[in-house]
Amino acid sequence: MTNKKQKNYSLIFILLIVCTLLVFAANIFIGSVSLTPAQTLSAIFSEHAQYSQIIRKIRLPRAAAAMILGGALSLSGYLLQTFFHNPIAGPFVLGVSSGAKLTVSFALIAASALALSINSALLVTAAFVGAMLSLGFVLLISHKTENISMIVVCGIMIGYICSAVTDFLVTFADDSDIADLHDWSQGTFSGMSAEDVLSAAGITFIAVIGTVLISKPMNAFMLGESYAKNLGVNIKLLKAAIVVLSGLFSACVTAFAGPISFVGIAVPHISRRLFGTSKPIVMIPACFLCGSIFCMICDMTARTILSPTELSISTVTSVFGAPIVIMVMLKRRKEGGA
Amino acid sequence: MLSVKELFAGYDKKTVISDMSFEVRSGEILSLIGPNGAGKSTVLKVIAKYLEKQKGFVYIDNTEQESISRAELAKKLSVTLTERIRPELMTCREVVETGRYPYTGAFGRLNEQDKRAVEQAMEETATLELADELFNRVSDGQRQRVILAKAICQQPQILALDEPTSYLDIRHKIAFFETLHRLAKQRGIAVIISMHEIELARIISDKVVCIKNGEVTDSGTPEEIFTPQKIMRLYDIPEELYKKYFE
Repeated sequence: MTNKKQKNYSLIFILLIVCTLLVFAANIFIGSVSLTPAQTLSAIFSEHAQYSQIIRKIRLPRAAAAMILGGALSLSGYLLQTFFHNPIAGPFVLGVSSGAKLTVSFALIAASALALSINSALLVTAAFVGAMLSLGFVLLISHKTENISMIVVCGIMIGYICSAVTDFLVTFADDSDIADLHDWSQGTFSGMSAEDVLSAAGITFIAVIGTVLISKPMNAFMLGESYAKNLGVNIKLLKAAIVVLSGLFSACVTAFAGPISFVGIAVPHISRRLFGTSKPIVMIPACFLCGSIFCMICDMTARTILSPTELSISTVTSVFGAPIVIMVMLKRRKEGGA
Repeated sequence: MLSVKELFAGYDKKTVISDMSFEVRSGEILSLIGPNGAGKSTVLKVIAKYLEKQKGFVYIDNTEQESISRAELAKKLSVTLTERIRPELMTCREVVETGRYPYTGAFGRLNEQDKRAVEQAMEETATLELADELFNRVSDGQRQRVILAKAICQQPQILALDEPTSYLDIRHKIAFFETLHRLAKQRGIAVIISMHEIELARIISDKVVCIKNGEVTDSGTPEEIFTPQKIMRLYDIPEELYKKYFE
């Protein structure tokens, strides 16, 4: 890496961090009740200030959730894209999010039927199991065919099946459960408590550390399995690590915010173009920051554009994300990529 | 340096190569020649530990390959393969840099010594001018030279090359083999190379091994092997066609 490049990277990273902070602040200030910076600050620091409930209980956790889970989702996509050597892969199109959604719905309904209380650790575990099951199916299919389009189509089908089963389950759930389930199953950052945010932050932090630890073998893996093996990479271990970490990120997002589409697929692409590289050690923080910014902007749009009615987060992420995916596919065709 | 003894290998239960033996010493170039599907790539795959052998021995530096760890093997042996790679947004320099993988720390940061090795490998393969080009955007021939640079940068004692010159024009083929020759003679690297260009194999090889139907049918110096009779038999070329094309 030349010095010039390194300087460029630092500059873009500084800009991204500034951008993250600005968008985070905007998420707290802007909403159905518009607040001045002074009102907001006093609400943050004093429990008794006028708007402290809005800020502390609603906007702050929500903005933090969008920031953390946006980063997590985009890293989940980045890992899957590295795994399949293809930028069209992502947790939503491969059915991973829907798998997690299915098991979480099941856990919620079962808990309510048995009158048990359910905590976030249990939800994440359920989501992780679902994510792994879906990913397991996708991996089985990827053994049969190298064709990524086939794999993606199968992933989408798995997603549909899981969603259908989820709907089926919801039909049998109690009315009171359905209200919550319905919002969550559309994907939303609202209704997140401070404890939820902390749990999500903890899980994401661990998974980010894990991802950084495999950045070196991932770099070699970009040359394909055979060359990576010749360089001394333990391929089986690396692949397992990628799958588990990616599943953990998706599971964490789905457990807390429901399935969110297109972030995992589109954001890594934006990051790659922004930095002009796909070196993992650069891409890991880059994807996280871009994912945070992307999700915070989408969430702000979702809750303000038709205020007081709120759109589901996936509605907004799809509008921004899907065109990017189409562009990637066309561009790759032009460049002669498969 | 590298010695293969009574080697049997194949895919699933099927045996593709049987009872193969040959060896290559430091500073020697050994070429594997023979018809398509004879088992040349298969034996290279076994040597590089991509494929498990069914029976027999592969010694690297007098140590049986099985008892060498993956990380150790990466410092002793590097390969170039026929499979095409398309790493997204990686420059040629970054591809070459991956060759330092066995030597760098946990995060793959290159120190001065690593950077020198990269620079030198690129110089030797005349790829320095491509350093900042994207690997996916350069020509097939240039890619093959970059991959060779990556292999050299791994500082191996053995280089195993599977049809490395298939996409090169004659000028670049000659340049490629000159580089290989220099590496073998100056750095004492043992080179094992599978190839179809028998005219070139005759010039650059110290030893030639003929492979047909998964067996070594003949081996020796280029003078011993490249006789019309042996080539006609190895590739099943009728005499009149051999005369038409080679004489």
